[in-house]
Amino acid sequence: MDAPYAIEMLNITKRFPGIIANDNVTIQLKKGEIHALLGENGAGKSTLMSVLFGLYQAEEGIIKKDGVEVKINDPNDANDLGIGMVHQHFKLVQCFTVLQNIILGVETTKNGVLQMDEARKKVIALSEKYGLYVDPDAVIEDITVGMQQRTEILKMLYRDNEILIFDEPTAVLTPQEIAELMQIMKNLAREGKSILFISHKLNEIMEVADRVSVLRKGKYIGTVNVKDVNEAELSRMMVGRDVQLVVEKEPAKPGNVVLDIQNMTVASKVHKNNAVKNVSLQVRSGEIVCIAGIDGNGQSEFVYGLSGLEPLVSGKITLCGKDITKSSIRSRSELMSHIPEDRHKHGLVLDYSLEYNMILQLYFEPEFTTKAGFLKRKEIREYADRLIDEYDVRSGQGAITTTRAMSGGNQQKAIIGRELDRPHELLLAVQPTRGLDVGAIEGVHRNLIKERDAGKAVLLVSLELEEVLNVSDRILVMYEGEIVGELDPKQTTPEELGLYMAGAKRSTPKGDKA
Amino acid sequence: MKQSLFKKPAVQTLLSSLICIVAGLLVGFIILTIINPSGSGQAITTIILNFITRSSGPAKLKAFGNTLAKTAPLLMCALSVCFCYKVGLFNIGAAGQYEAGACAALFMAISVGAPWYVCLLAAAAAGAVLGAISGFLKAYRNVNEVISGIMLNWITLYLTNMVLSNPAIKDPASPYTKPLSSANAKGMLPTMGLDALFANNRYVTVAVPLAVIIAILIWMILEKTRFGYELRATGFNKEASRYAGMKEKRNIIVTLAMGGALAAVGAAFLFLSGYQQWSTTQTSVPGMGFNGIAATFLGGLSPIGTIFSSFFIQSITDGGALINRSLYPAEISDLISAVIIYLCGFVLFFKTVMNGWIAKNEEKKALKAKGGNA
Amino acid sequence: MVLLIQYTIIFASVLMLVALGGCFSEHSGIINLGLEGIMVIGALGGALIMNLLPAGTNGFVMVVVTALAAVGFGILYSCLLGVAAIQFKADQTLIGTAMNMLATAAATVFVSAFNAAKNPDNTSSTLQYISQKNAFIVRIGGFEFNWFMLLAVILLGISWFILYKTRFGLRLMACGENPQAADSVGINVKRMRWSGVLISGALGGLGGIVYILAGVSEWKFEVGVAGFGFLALAVMIFGQWKPTKIALAALLFGFFRALSNVYTGFPFLANLGIPSTIYNMMPYIISLVILAFTSKNSKAPKAEGIPYDKGMR
Repeated sequence: MDAPYAIEMLNITKRFPGIIANDNVTIQLKKGEIHALLGENGAGKSTLMSVLFGLYQAEEGIIKKDGVEVKINDPNDANDLGIGMVHQHFKLVQCFTVLQNIILGVETTKNGVLQMDEARKKVIALSEKYGLYVDPDAVIEDITVGMQQRTEILKMLYRDNEILIFDEPTAVLTPQEIAELMQIMKNLAREGKSILFISHKLNEIMEVADRVSVLRKGKYIGTVNVKDVNEAELSRMMVGRDVQLVVEKEPAKPGNVVLDIQNMTVASKVHKNNAVKNVSLQVRSGEIVCIAGIDGNGQSEFVYGLSGLEPLVSGKITLCGKDITKSSIRSRSELMSHIPEDRHKHGLVLDYSLEYNMILQLYFEPEFTTKAGFLKRKEIREYADRLIDEYDVRSGQGAITTTRAMSGGNQQKAIIGRELDRPHELLLAVQPTRGLDVGAIEGVHRNLIKERDAGKAVLLVSLELEEVLNVSDRILVMYEGEIVGELDPKQTTPEELGLYMAGAKRSTPKGDKA
Repeated sequence: MKQSLFKKPAVQTLLSSLICIVAGLLVGFIILTIINPSGSGQAITTIILNFITRSSGPAKLKAFGNTLAKTAPLLMCALSVCFCYKVGLFNIGAAGQYEAGACAALFMAISVGAPWYVCLLAAAAAGAVLGAISGFLKAYRNVNEVISGIMLNWITLYLTNMVLSNPAIKDPASPYTKPLSSANAKGMLPTMGLDALFANNRYVTVAVPLAVIIAILIWMILEKTRFGYELRATGFNKEASRYAGMKEKRNIIVTLAMGGALAAVGAAFLFLSGYQQWSTTQTSVPGMGFNGIAATFLGGLSPIGTIFSSFFIQSITDGGALINRSLYPAEISDLISAVIIYLCGFVLFFKTVMNGWIAKNEEKKALKAKGGNA
Repeated sequence: MVLLIQYTIIFASVLMLVALGGCFSEHSGIINLGLEGIMVIGALGGALIMNLLPAGTNGFVMVVVTALAAVGFGILYSCLLGVAAIQFKADQTLIGTAMNMLATAAATVFVSAFNAAKNPDNTSSTLQYISQKNAFIVRIGGFEFNWFMLLAVILLGISWFILYKTRFGLRLMACGENPQAADSVGINVKRMRWSGVLISGALGGLGGIVYILAGVSEWKFEVGVAGFGFLALAVMIFGQWKPTKIALAALLFGFFRALSNVYTGFPFLANLGIPSTIYNMMPYIISLVILAFTSKNSKAPKAEGIPYDKGMR
């Protein structure tokens, strides 16, 4: 018998208290095809994969392998069925070698003693067959992210997995590495492997996938052949309406220079090179300047350098005419509000109540602390209640709710409220819409524009093309730690922006002022 | 709808501590019964009741006073551990800071002949320095405070033995330091008339009320002040506190220095009361610092709670000394406290179970209410 | 000089055994601060057996049975850590501290009761094994060895082999470095962590009996093992969690410990007038200094001390 489908997930429904994560979803993966799974954050992609790997049990629906119904109770069952996955966050032991990581769990042994030579031969053969070149004896922490991903792919091939799942595999890669990965995926499919490719990047899906299934808010929208659709159609399936390309706003009226950065260089924590190289830029009052780029091109380090979380290697930062290059975080924050990239790591003390988080940047002010150093409870409560009301922060018990118990969107609203309400001249907003739903994103964008119109300088760091094009007045593209171009959002196209972001185009020579 | 009493975190903490105590005493009772069934009931009663089992009124008072005199140093060690724990630091070095406090206090009292308040300050300074070393290593050299604390416990033990072996300080005829009453009466903590309340027990000094006041102060600092807000934020999330402009490295050092001072003053509270002399030949780190860890966790990680847990632990320790020594070893009390602190590791689990029960009950109630309405 | 070498070797083998125990536990991801307590209980087990075996017992039997008793007691006692830290996700520092307190108290209570049962007037916490001790001693020329030193060297080799050459070692270390990764390839993290903890119990218990057999023929359980468990922890860190380096660190620390015992036998050292406490302090000071300079890039297993939660992916 020869069933056409390698794996089928039929009419899967998975509920969590208060939410239906997967509502009657069907995915059928043909043998030897690359099948994309498209959806926004929170569309239910991860839940569906967790069901496939037996981490969750679906309430309804069945899974079939080669046309036969199977039960998957834990990841081992999935593994036995030949299903493998490259996770977004790699599951690698940093201090082990590539080879050790590949064989971990399926070691060849003689009386419990490892037989590394046989394993090495098999790995080398596999890497030659699929063009996955990587040194088997290199230690993981010494090799690039792209090489680490190859190790993950080899892990699946070493286990003779037939069904390969890639979870957002390009988020961490450089453009060259992305191109290589696309080639590898095509090679794998040609050799008969079936690939499920989870992504929200339309261009990648268009390039590599044969068919694409779309999820939206837990619901199955449909499956189409990639060659029958264009990006705009896919995009509409994904978000459920025509993407509103223009956020309504008046033209910017830039005023004085608020932030002036000269030749900023910041070291990297991950590798030996500098993560930010000789960056110069200015932000004026009344304008939104956006730093665009693919994740990992030095944006985080740039933000750390500007906010004072990391020292500069060299360069000069002037804020409102004051040299703050060597100033403390505290004295910078008197003029600068900062919506951080990672709200759990930097933005909130999750075990503090909401009201205590609302005063995180102001607790030392006389408004909230007596001369003797005691906190003013009543004033804190009143202040928090006002912000909660103004920014529509919803929580179980109001001001005394532990922030850990709040939803991500409301946590973000709390941070935005806190940072916008306190006195500042510059707003530094780093991926302020990360992980938020569409409605919440619009709210954030409105707030940014309101800030601008109130005469503040806004520096937005974003990875989302759409956000970059819609919200900003000026775009600076960062690539490998350098500003490679300045674009006018009204003049440019997504394609042009993409070329800059991928490093294929640059308009500023090194060290030039943007 | 009224909120269930069991839902309150404070109530849950109290219940968890009670579970630990009851289970610890039960283990103690079982072991006593195995050793000798005939006297085990009486022995466990003696351990629990401690001074109340003494024959006469004055004897009871005197024994009560002794327990209080030793509760004060234990409470200080517990406060040291508790304060640091709130800032996310496990101050296992409290034992060493306690040694440093004993060393500085006795050196100043006997060798220099300083008055008691100077000795207290010297102890606090010595403990603070030791704590600050751990803090510095943690903040700037990435050395875990538990590891550096353990090392410093032993270094300080030997150092203290060496310093206090000085002929000017050590009693020539024994391994102990000279009794304070004869060496320097000015160095002894004043009793402020408290001795009269406890059948002329001169070991009950100003240390007892002082320790309680310090506990309340620590609670106020942590819960009510800007400083405490900062420290606890650092303890919960170091990165976020940095983002908010707090100096987290300085906070780590200050916290451990304060913790060190607290434990060291605890030692001064004991040795300046004259209750005990330092043995210059001891080869193990004194248990007071570790008992402080026990009191901290039994006290539900609250400075106020530790007042009661410290008294409880000291009381069962003293009670253990009162049981029939020909039948049972006195260390049975140490065993009970050790079992209690071990069980404190399960508090999180106890609370999860309690919350599970509450959730189940509420669900049932909700179902019933629905059924009633329908 | 002979005495110095002899003591160095004795102390080094104790430290090495216990540090290797810690090494297994930490590589599985569990911090074992309770090594001191495990040593006490192991020593208790061994001493009890020696005390109970008749004096005429065959030497080989004596050595084997005593070692097995110490190992068994150590393993049993380490279950306290396993249950709390692995099954119930308790704070490992707290549990380790409790185990140290409990071990000394329990051993004292037990030995006192044991002694009293034999002779109602004897409520001390001291166990004697004067004649039994001879079974362990091997004399080569002027040197006095003990069979356990040979055992320690063999166990060093075995530990190295297990950690680096076997499937078990690879999986164990994966659990201490990245349990999520280990779990994702079908390794049972709980089981591996239990193995690590129980091995540390076995080696810690063995270290305990070796320690109380060193140079003395009775042991007072009130004093525990005088910080050797903590010193072993320092040896493990100093040895960067690697068996070979642990062996070297154990020799160095053992040397200082031995110096403090016998330095009066060396005229030039005695003349220096350095008190023995300085030698006692040296290992701790050295490790603290070394730690201060090496901890920025520590080789400690990355996931140690963090309870493994299957849900956190």
